[in-house]
Amino acid sequence: MSISFDENTENTIKGRSAAHGISIGPAVVIKSGSKEISPKAISESEIDSHKKKFCSARDLLTQELQKMAVGLEDKSTSEIIEAQQQIIKDPSIQKLVFEIIDEKHLSVDFAVYETFSSFIEQLKESGSELFSQRIIDLEDIRDRYVSKVCDYISELKIPEGAIIIASKISPTELVNYYEQGAAGLVLEKGGITSHAVIIAKSLSIPCLINADKATRRVLSQGTIILDAENGGLILDPTDKVLKEYAEKLKGAKVAIKADNNGCFETKDGHPFKLLANVEFEAELPRVSEKNAQGIGLLRTESLLFGKKLRKEVAEQEAFYTAMLENVEGPVTIRLFDIGGDKNARRPYKEANPFLGWRGIRLLLDEKKLLRSQLKAILTIAGKYPGRVKLLIPMISVVDEIDLIRSEIERMQGALLSSGVSIDENLPIGIMVEVPSVALSAYHFAKKVDFLSIGSNDLTQYTLAVDRGNEKIHRLFQHYHPAVLKLIEMTVRGANKADVNVSVCGELAGDEIGAACLMGFGIRELSMVPNSLPGIHDLLSSRDKKDFEELAKKAVDLPSSEELEEYFREWKDRTGQ
Amino acid sequence: MIKEKVTIKNSAGLHARPSAQLVKLASKFKSDFYIHSYGYRVNGKSILGVMTLAAESGAELELELEGPDEEEALNAIKEAIENKFGMDEE
Repeated sequence: MSISFDENTENTIKGRSAAHGISIGPAVVIKSGSKEISPKAISESEIDSHKKKFCSARDLLTQELQKMAVGLEDKSTSEIIEAQQQIIKDPSIQKLVFEIIDEKHLSVDFAVYETFSSFIEQLKESGSELFSQRIIDLEDIRDRYVSKVCDYISELKIPEGAIIIASKISPTELVNYYEQGAAGLVLEKGGITSHAVIIAKSLSIPCLINADKATRRVLSQGTIILDAENGGLILDPTDKVLKEYAEKLKGAKVAIKADNNGCFETKDGHPFKLLANVEFEAELPRVSEKNAQGIGLLRTESLLFGKKLRKEVAEQEAFYTAMLENVEGPVTIRLFDIGGDKNARRPYKEANPFLGWRGIRLLLDEKKLLRSQLKAILTIAGKYPGRVKLLIPMISVVDEIDLIRSEIERMQGALLSSGVSIDENLPIGIMVEVPSVALSAYHFAKKVDFLSIGSNDLTQYTLAVDRGNEKIHRLFQHYHPAVLKLIEMTVRGANKADVNVSVCGELAGDEIGAACLMGFGIRELSMVPNSLPGIHDLLSSRDKKDFEELAKKAVDLPSSEELEEYFREWKDRTGQ
Repeated sequence: MIKEKVTIKNSAGLHARPSAQLVKLASKFKSDFYIHSYGYRVNGKSILGVMTLAAESGAELELELEGPDEEEALNAIKEAIENKFGMDEE
């Protein structure tokens, strides 16, 4: 007998399964979203300890920066670090922080947050372009300060096997908990393609979203059951229920073991490649475990938004090296795709961030950031010739390709003249995520070595659906026939220019999507490693012509629902 | 107390690094150091204070120094501003 989650009851909470699986463990409720700091009153007797916390945070941060500065030969970098140290030690910061603690009796984390924010506001008001860049630094210092003074937020220790309950969570926080042994994730909000959810899938953590009031209803430490197979959470389970689930868990572990024998061919012998999308080093064991043939998309934003920033060239190189050393096959590194939903620390509030300053648009303006990344990637590409590919995000007009190419060539020239070897045949490709690129694919393809379709953004821009907005999540249909039509056009344009097309995005890891993509003639799919065995089974058990028939039909259907129906029928018919 | 007007000459204005240099220099002296600009008065030994002036190239500042080594400090600061903080290649 299994429990039904159709309704919320006294000891169940209904949700939407975002990453499948079951886990049983102690609940850890994470109250704060860590970004917004709210004022907390403190008593007279706490004043001194809060002031002391401020001083020790200041000293720690200064020491950290000093360590960073040691051995830096680059003059401008060490000057930046010096400026950061001065900001941290600024006498007016201490004065204002102490005023808030002394006079308003508010906690030190809020005092720091408030003080920095008021300076940031002033800089914003100045309206000067030059200073707006510094705002990002200031916000960064502020956040580091805040997490230092309230170590209970950032260094929360969780027990092994814990199920994390939060309103929302950042990818970095999630990875941090995963490394401590988290075994499940329950979110009150979040869409199926939200960033943290994609990471949860990739880490094989069962994940439930839209779990209403979960942070208020679940008590920390009690054992709960997360059933992301049936979309629910069981609080206070009876011994009988616990036993039942423990059995299920055992059964599931046996079934998961996938084996593809390293053979990647359709039933009639047409080869294809399945690769992994990766963002964190913690994901690497799954890449080889699931037999991926390389990394089809390496996201690099975690270098900028992690708990520790790793902007420096040497730190970036270490990150890329870890990827190349731990994975066989090619590694496609995507330049920083900042903007849209992936950057809380931006100088301006944009009315439409997804249509705004993001991806290549931002990189071409922020030359320092761009060049540091190019330097790291091109150096590593030279050390592993033939294995690195470079991917440019958010291209929307052809000119951007010329601009970035000249930046790449410039950096390659500089490296060569300083005696660093480079990969002269480094393939350079662009993301196809804006409909303009799909529609004029030939003109874009002519200028590059490969195209990689980012199905999540392509869907969002084609259907005008914000993928993070849970109110309209039903409209986010990545295998909508209109999206598939754009992909078909992309393939046609690329073929004409004799350029390879791959797909990275949720579509590639979805059965319907993967089957259609095969039908369009795409032979390289990159997905979260966990989807790999299922997709491998589907693609290797049918003939090329079956996929072609499906794809041909799919683009002519009026809706996703009809495609789902047709797919079920197709699967039964061709699977015999 | 002494006061003197100066003009910022480096093309990027007083952004983070020149601000840092200015503050570092001013902090070597005992005298209090304030900067007046367009009706604002900030502590010249506070980098955030200096940055919030958002002084761009061409901005006019009034330097105010008070203390035992005020003359010496004023001359050093003036010289640094004249020399564009030794960093105008960007």
